[in-house]
Amino acid sequence: MSKPTRLRIAGGTVYDPTNGTDGVVRDVCIEGDRVVAELPSSAPRLDARGMVVMPGGVDIHAHIAGSSVNHARRLLPEEHAADPSPAPPLADRAVARSGTGGTLPSTFVTGYRYAGLGYTTVMEAAVAPLAARHAHAELDDTPLIDAGFFMLLGNDDYLLRQLAAGEAARARDYAAWLLGTTRAYAIKIVNPGGVAVWKGGGGGDRRNVTGLDDAVGSSTVTPRKILEVLTSTANALGLPHPVHIHCNNLGQPGNAATTLETMKALSGQRAHFTHLQFHSYGGAPDKGWASAAREVIEYVNGHPEVSVDVGQVMFGSATTVTADSPVEHLLYASSGRKWVNVDIELESGCGIVPYAYKEKAAVAALQWAVGLELFLLARDPWRVVLSTDHPNGGTFLSYPELIRLLMDRAYRDERLKGVNQKLLAGSALLDGLAREYTLGEIATITRAGPARLLGLKNKGHLGPGADADVTIYANEADRAKMFSTPRYTIKAGTLVVEDGQLRRAPAGRRLAVRPGYDAAVTKDVKRFFDQYACVAFENYGAEPVP
Amino acid sequence: MTDRTVAHVTCLGCGCACDDITVVVKQDRIADARNACALGAAWFGDGTVPAETRVNGRTASLDQALGEAASLLSGAKRPLVYLAGDVSCETQREAVAIADRLHAAIDSLTATAATAVLAAQRRGRAGATLGEIRQHADLVVFWGVDPNARYPRFGSRYAVEPRGVATPQGRGSRTLIAVDVGEALGPAEADGRVAIAPADEVDGLEFMRAAVQQRAGEADARFRPVVDLARRMTEARYVVIVADGEPGPTPADPARAEALVTLVQALNTPTRCALSTLRGGGNRSGADAVLTWQTGFPFAVDFARGYPTYRPRAGAAALLGAGEVDVALVVGAPATVAVPVSTGLAGVRSVAIGPRASAATFQPSVAVDTGAAGIHEGGTAFRMDDVPLPLRPSLEGARAALATVRALRVRLGA
Repeated sequence: MSKPTRLRIAGGTVYDPTNGTDGVVRDVCIEGDRVVAELPSSAPRLDARGMVVMPGGVDIHAHIAGSSVNHARRLLPEEHAADPSPAPPLADRAVARSGTGGTLPSTFVTGYRYAGLGYTTVMEAAVAPLAARHAHAELDDTPLIDAGFFMLLGNDDYLLRQLAAGEAARARDYAAWLLGTTRAYAIKIVNPGGVAVWKGGGGGDRRNVTGLDDAVGSSTVTPRKILEVLTSTANALGLPHPVHIHCNNLGQPGNAATTLETMKALSGQRAHFTHLQFHSYGGAPDKGWASAAREVIEYVNGHPEVSVDVGQVMFGSATTVTADSPVEHLLYASSGRKWVNVDIELESGCGIVPYAYKEKAAVAALQWAVGLELFLLARDPWRVVLSTDHPNGGTFLSYPELIRLLMDRAYRDERLKGVNQKLLAGSALLDGLAREYTLGEIATITRAGPARLLGLKNKGHLGPGADADVTIYANEADRAKMFSTPRYTIKAGTLVVEDGQLRRAPAGRRLAVRPGYDAAVTKDVKRFFDQYACVAFENYGAEPVP
Repeated sequence: MTDRTVAHVTCLGCGCACDDITVVVKQDRIADARNACALGAAWFGDGTVPAETRVNGRTASLDQALGEAASLLSGAKRPLVYLAGDVSCETQREAVAIADRLHAAIDSLTATAATAVLAAQRRGRAGATLGEIRQHADLVVFWGVDPNARYPRFGSRYAVEPRGVATPQGRGSRTLIAVDVGEALGPAEADGRVAIAPADEVDGLEFMRAAVQQRAGEADARFRPVVDLARRMTEARYVVIVADGEPGPTPADPARAEALVTLVQALNTPTRCALSTLRGGGNRSGADAVLTWQTGFPFAVDFARGYPTYRPRAGAAALLGAGEVDVALVVGAPATVAVPVSTGLAGVRSVAIGPRASAATFQPSVAVDTGAAGIHEGGTAFRMDDVPLPLRPSLEGARAALATVRALRVRLGA
């Protein structure tokens, strides 16, 4: 056995919010795949003087792998043709893979580009349990990042039946069993009840739910009930990440009322609200749009049990891909673009529409402004973290530009002048929000905060025992440039980006949970499968089969 | 070896990928594949496969065969990798890695269904996994296809008989309509039939869409039956249109494929509708999925420039036909390769690794027999609707395709 690799990152300016380090010049020592307190002076050194040292980036919410993502890739050959990615030249002539980019890069390119951005941990945000095996296969082909996925619940027939029957305990056991058997990381709720209603068929008012108290099939099952049971389930199971909620009425004017009502319904319980920007609009469905960012973020500021990621919209190409399939139908009908819908048996949905956010479009400009308002009015960066809901609001490659918007008021104000002002009347951005994020705050919203919210104790910081995931940036005034091309990325102790070039591409690890449950639930689930499912109970999930 | 039964086996005889097969093994042969249809029973057979390893027709060691294969492939000017049937996604992933390394062209059985894939790339699609047809469809329209012939259990497992959460009476909860397009007939047991001439089919679909969108003028009398059908569809709760994605008696028509997609999409405004495109077996849907996630394109990919480019009109058949290819690697069962490709392969030097490779009609220079995925080898396969399923081998002893292709990959430094 060779000795574990040692490296002293010497003399960098370290931002490690978890350990209270905010721009202090000190060394970071690595042995094997861990950060250690000290190394002998003879250990190899990486000269980081004048550079900024942060933990590896942690993306709390992105769509990078699995059946929905692959449907979207298949839909977009023109994007892939326009963004070819030859195999990077790795050190020691190690084999690398070619691929394609666009808003939904091929798997290997996804790993390469995340590492090239200094990110080392990513959560795939929406996987139907039925397709878990597929998601794992794709993550196996996505190097360089430690990854897990959130499992879709809350529109699935078995769960809704348990709620109708008042079987909250069985619902909890079911969720626990499902998390383990699909090797998932957390529970994700998308438009609770709404996707089930959409899948149930028919026209008229049977297309979606409109609020927390609409009936979902049975009159005793409502979005509120689904949210309450799954939120308490995640907390009772002690999952590292609480329930991850995509609220009802995504993208609709006036939806901030639903968002706030949802937060209040779960008051006092840990819950994470994702891509909050898409849920923070004032106005009304027939009367147009306005920003309601201030109202929403003030609630978040005052409630420590709530955490959010922003879901910022960035101008340029995007692809909307979501389990919220009724919303995608609306987008298809209004945009006339190509559209994929896949109803997923007994579980969930999938909708995809390619999209572009244009500065001159009033709604896109409003969405852009709402996201920035949320960031700039947030009081606790630990609970309001960075995302673009990749690739829905923009791709992960736009994070550096977003960081510049947050850190550089002059630049932000200049950009603000260039966008359509029609719907910005109520936006706090027009009041001249002066805040500029510090590097320490950026480290919080891109590393320490997401890691803490995900319950990843060894991620997002550089204390002894932490995973040796480190990013080193040249300290440039242009923060977009700085964050788009780290000088070095270290993943699990391996120097993967060197002088701005990807040099090594080791496999990442899988992040998954396996909570305990009363095994009696599997007998009941098997009965349900025998009655309705088209996949054998024994073949379901993502465990290896004998 | 002891006799045994293996339950919950997934059959790759067609794209239905029925996973309720119980395989009974007696004296190292498959004695029965319970629940399997005739097509499935034929696919399992008795499970015997040849175990030859040949170089230029002569028996060779695996080491010699892999050495010769590596030498042929690495010396090729214009290599082609072809993903044939009956291998797992895991094996397909290795084969794509080889193509990437060799800067080869790569194609698969998906190319035979290119028309539907390309239509979906232009317009998208409104679909559902097969089980959702069972749960919700109250009106099922078979568009010029009788699944009983090539997808025998499609009706009993998914679209006709089974009871679902919103179809408690099973067959009694559903209305079946057969649309007979010339000679391409829908199933005999349909509750109603509509006939349309092949020459009128695309126009008929457009008239239907116009009716759904309530922008129709008065259609010519010959379109009236399909227009009436369209109106009936708008009154159903959940409509499924079933069409065949595989090559049929008439050449696939891009306009037809696109008209089907757009009709189904339009039906999702007044009600819900899904298009179910039938696909063949052998895990061809897996090849489509794997190529898409590794390259961004579902078939007809070319790595010649050092990165994937999409050449849907210059897939394996076209490249071989034009004499562009000098060496081919076929991964999978050669017997599943369709005629234009297999004919073309006969004209080049080739390496075949897969079930019954030694019996390939195109006479490969190197042939390595392996077991079949789902019979001798585990892994993952995709149902025609992209649902992933585990494979449960029932027989032991055959050479594994995955290990063999991986060994070749290592020799090629890929």
